[in-house]
Amino acid sequence: MNAVVAGITYRAVLGRRRVLLMVLLPLLLIALALVLRWVGSADEKAAVTLMQVYAIGTMLPLLGLIAGTGTIAPEIDDGTIIHLLSKPISRPVIAVTKFVVAASMLAVFAALPTFAAGYLLLRDEAGVAAGFGVGALAGGVAYAAVFLLLGVLTRHAVTVGIIYAVVWENLVGRFVPGARDLSIQQWAQTFADQISTSGFLKSSVAMGFAVPAILVVTIGSVLWAGHRLRSLSLTGEE
Amino acid sequence: MSEPPPAPPAPAAAPTGVIHDIGYRHYQGRRLGRGHALAALTGHSLRGVFGLGRPARAKIMPFLLAGIMMLPAAVSIAMMAILKQRGIAYPAYAGIMQAVLAVFLAAQSPGLVAPDLRFRVLPLYLSRPNSTADYVIAKLAAMAAAILLLLAVPLTTMFVGELLVDLPGPPQTSHYLAALATSVLYALLLGSIGVAIASFTPRRGLGVAAVIAVYLLSSAISGVLVGVLESVGRHTAALWAWLINPFFLVDAVQNWLFDTPSASGDGYPPGIGGPVALLAALVLIILAVTALLFRYRKAAAS
Repeated sequence: MNAVVAGITYRAVLGRRRVLLMVLLPLLLIALALVLRWVGSADEKAAVTLMQVYAIGTMLPLLGLIAGTGTIAPEIDDGTIIHLLSKPISRPVIAVTKFVVAASMLAVFAALPTFAAGYLLLRDEAGVAAGFGVGALAGGVAYAAVFLLLGVLTRHAVTVGIIYAVVWENLVGRFVPGARDLSIQQWAQTFADQISTSGFLKSSVAMGFAVPAILVVTIGSVLWAGHRLRSLSLTGEE
Repeated sequence: MSEPPPAPPAPAAAPTGVIHDIGYRHYQGRRLGRGHALAALTGHSLRGVFGLGRPARAKIMPFLLAGIMMLPAAVSIAMMAILKQRGIAYPAYAGIMQAVLAVFLAAQSPGLVAPDLRFRVLPLYLSRPNSTADYVIAKLAAMAAAILLLLAVPLTTMFVGELLVDLPGPPQTSHYLAALATSVLYALLLGSIGVAIASFTPRRGLGVAAVIAVYLLSSAISGVLVGVLESVGRHTAALWAWLINPFFLVDAVQNWLFDTPSASGDGYPPGIGGPVALLAALVLIILAVTALLFRYRKAAAS
């Protein structure tokens, strides 16, 4: 963890148009929660649907993509990463710093609004708000690490990331139950299910699998990203 | 490199400046003009969308996604040949494959506009006979043609397969033609929205994220609203909520114009639903094109 690198990364991610998208997504979640209250269907089932489809199913992977790749991919794209890599800072430390920045962004822009929207709809009922808040946090940490790694591995990180989130997690996961075991969204829902007592929420992955899976994926991705940074080659675009 | 022998010193002052003719030739062919420039830029952009004329790495993503688009057609032909029953319906093709189409749009539209903005080469284009409007039209036409290809090729393959297999009963020619006509609207709507969003950032990664975010947001909001409105018994409002998703918006137009079954499996608002959907699609296209024209008027000056 290096405070200067962290500060520069925060400025880079928050200072551009990127932040507009990162603010828009949670705002829409809160707006949807308000609409649901307004049409008078702020019950447990509606809240769980909103959380599953929007908060975990759409907002979390998108924010993970924007924050996770945004901390490092633009620098590699520009070639300005070379100024960072030529400093006497260990490359794994750079990777860990970027990961911490991305994960903290997801905590602020994904997990907190998820909890707030759940609280708006249900207050403390059945632990839905707290459950999905924790689920979004756990999923967000894993997404941040995986998309950070993608940003180091390939120039097409965002495209590969959306193919994972849209095609694998949403399309394949809907038809092939086995694919859900390898889905960060499902792990996040497992965490939510663990805390919440709601009968409308059924996770398809066991807690005994989700916890080690998130740990392995997160730590593994950050370590691999650090390792890749040690031998990063800057080649031309495409 | 043969040095000429040193000339004997001239007594008088010789002319010092000489223009050598080193053989540059001027272009003396016919000037093809603005229309041709537009066609060339469109063709070049369309090739670029599929990565043709670029390294192999740029071809992986578009051809992978185009291949995935062909899968249901192949499965459908196999079902018709072996099981003697129809697989996927023509009008539902785009609705079922919407995630793949959206990923293609998101992955490829920033590549169409972002590099030109990022490297500030627009003045170079505009030093030729084409205007900013021509540039915008060429980019839009290229993206729309790519989406149209992505839809029309599997549909046509499937139709040819159906004719060859010769199932009992007449072929579904009207459904095939309806789906083909609707693909044009899909292509125009998706292409203009995708290119318009992508043109607002010179960064490709952010452009990809922004385009897919708009699709995922509209489909998630539509999904949540439909689910919730159905559960509180507001069926008509739920039917309207389907239209938030651009794919179902176009499908509603198809449903109204050609009386095809709906891809959402739930129907669309009866009565004015179809005309409103068509109007909404046209307004979206006009808004996107206007935004693009304004964007490029500004970008051309920078």
